[in-house]
Amino acid sequence: MTERFRLALVGAGMIAGHSHLPAALASPNVQVVAIVDPARERARSLAQAYGVRAVIAADVREVLDEIDGAIIATPNYTHRSIAVACLEAGVATLIEKPLAGSYADGEAIVLAGAKSGRPVAVGYCTRFRDNTLLLKELLDSGHFGTVRRFAHQFGTRGGWAPVSGYNLERQASGGGVLVVSGTHFLDRMLYLWGYPDDMNLEDDRQGGPEANCVAAFRYGRGADSFEGCARYSKTVQLPGGLVIETDRGIVSLADYDRAEISFRPRSTPNVEHVVRSLGAPPYRADMPVFQRQLSDFVDACRTGRPPRVDGRQGLQSLRLIEDLRARRSAMHTDWYRAVAGGR
Amino acid sequence: MRRVAIVGASGFVGSVLVERLLARGDTELVPLIHSSGNAWRLARLGIPLKAVDLLSAREVDSALAGCSHVVNCSRGDDDVMIKGLGNLLAASRKRRIERFVHLSSVLVYGDPPDPGATREAAPTRPQKGSYGWIKSRQDQMVMQAGRAGMPSVILCPPNITGPCSIYLLDLLNALRAGQFVLLEQGSAPCNVVDVTNLAYGIELALGQATAAATRFFITDDEPTTWQDVVQGLSPLIDNAPPVPAVSREELCRITARAPRPDISIRRSVRHLVSSDVRQALRKDPLWAAIDGSFRRGAAMLGRRLEERLRQWIEGPVRVAVADARPAVNARLCAQQLRGVRHSCELAKNELGYRPIRSTAASFEAFRTWYRVSHGLDSPFWDLLRHLYQAGR
Repeated sequence: MTERFRLALVGAGMIAGHSHLPAALASPNVQVVAIVDPARERARSLAQAYGVRAVIAADVREVLDEIDGAIIATPNYTHRSIAVACLEAGVATLIEKPLAGSYADGEAIVLAGAKSGRPVAVGYCTRFRDNTLLLKELLDSGHFGTVRRFAHQFGTRGGWAPVSGYNLERQASGGGVLVVSGTHFLDRMLYLWGYPDDMNLEDDRQGGPEANCVAAFRYGRGADSFEGCARYSKTVQLPGGLVIETDRGIVSLADYDRAEISFRPRSTPNVEHVVRSLGAPPYRADMPVFQRQLSDFVDACRTGRPPRVDGRQGLQSLRLIEDLRARRSAMHTDWYRAVAGGR
Repeated sequence: MRRVAIVGASGFVGSVLVERLLARGDTELVPLIHSSGNAWRLARLGIPLKAVDLLSAREVDSALAGCSHVVNCSRGDDDVMIKGLGNLLAASRKRRIERFVHLSSVLVYGDPPDPGATREAAPTRPQKGSYGWIKSRQDQMVMQAGRAGMPSVILCPPNITGPCSIYLLDLLNALRAGQFVLLEQGSAPCNVVDVTNLAYGIELALGQATAAATRFFITDDEPTTWQDVVQGLSPLIDNAPPVPAVSREELCRITARAPRPDISIRRSVRHLVSSDVRQALRKDPLWAAIDGSFRRGAAMLGRRLEERLRQWIEGPVRVAVADARPAVNARLCAQQLRGVRHSCELAKNELGYRPIRSTAASFEAFRTWYRVSHGLDSPFWDLLRHLYQAGR
């Protein structure tokens, strides 16, 4: 029997307690041997909450000799130093998205991974959805025809409050809603269609992280080109999902793990087809995406193949975010200005 | 320069107040928030935000260090509303706060209110346990602090409009879903205040040096009706079903709350042995064994007796009446029964309050915000609208 993969959970905040630790405990081939957090009490409390007997440490360097891999679920600006320390010690890393707080930090992590020969995986968990995998397959095969336009949106009124509150500090988080919510779709967009040829961004930041943004993209030139937009909000509830217009109709996919792809043919627009795969699914249907992601990471560590979302892909997402920021303009937010005389 | 702590700064009113005071530049701000999850609107401004647990007297006291003024816009569960406010008032007294502005609600006058509630001096009579009742208890605490010497002002807004208004979003959703009815063609008064007007009222209260724990209505000071409000939202509704008109009697009937059943030992025993409860208990092996014995015992009584026992426990089969019309939003519809137009004359006379935005401008700003934030004017709206249709 294969020995269990010895895992450290670095960061004992919300995402660790809510998603990563349950995924690890549900994985028979994984043993959580350490929980690391500068606030040891928080780490201890998380271990107790799940009845985990693990080493409690304030710094990952204290446990590097005892682990095969580490999940890094700490504030974005800390990813680089923790990941590089792990990789230099020969420890593989699964880093909660985004890869790092900046492209330069991400590059340093990827370089450290290449030098060590150990996998760097990035926690874009939505890539492990069955619907993402099926959509990619069907778009690549031309099942829906030629893409003409696409639109994605995701909006919540507030939500997710990390224990440290780092999400409200631009330096610590590496950005606002584009990084916190939008980066999941940006990663999927890169997976579906590659790097866009042109883009721009509007957001509402005025010194802090943006709460609302709208990005526009263009792929290709001439007759085969297509455009798309992505809208994100932390102040407005928006039904999340992706809609793609093709020459054959409209493809829709709501933004949740078990959503089904639907297709409205142009020829019969009052009919909607639900599209399901009859092939063998790559993962057990009831396995949560965080467990799929961890399973992929452990398998990559053991077989030497790259993880499904590796460091280089994570780096592309960071490049896209920085390219968008370079083309950023201010969003209109003075809602009364349009009203005659303000009254 | 005065140093103003805004408690509940990440809420709808708190955010607008912070934005206005920042733009004025004559105030040092201490925005206090409950959690980082809801503070995005403020965070984008790049100002320091401090998370405070109102239930911690120590945290509250520390947060008010150096402050000269306090505005309380916080909301929360009953414990936060009462114990949290107690901590805030105690810390304010200790820190010798120059002015304490508390945001209350017109609901302290009850639902429906006393007909005399056009003026602030009317009796308050909120239903026990309601939101207005908690706000009324808060008002009493602030008034008591005022009598003890802490200069305080209580502002009572009605429904708050303007960009990001939750009230208008709720009403818009109810109209779209056909869950709203109009009383007597919408002629009932609808008390509204634009969020900018309310923030302006708070600014005036911060500067007011004479009032002691006085309650003020802050409204748009316009004769707005529910028909006006519905018309103000109608440009945002495509293919909306017509809003049905109902009589007062019918509205009372369809918005009446179902009475809570009295405590009954017989009902409780029936509930305890009902199939719903036994199904949940059977997840535990001991209860599964006990339930199995119970069922075997019942089976030994014979089929007829077993069936009678089952009927005694479960009662007759009930079939819900399926109305073709969607259920109305009782909370929103019932507001039309309030029947009183609150006057802001006192605020005008004593605070110097004058609305700076008209109701029409408030609704237009809401519509502009809504269209932009939901992408209605975007070249991709024809695609995005599929996501709204899927959600219905």
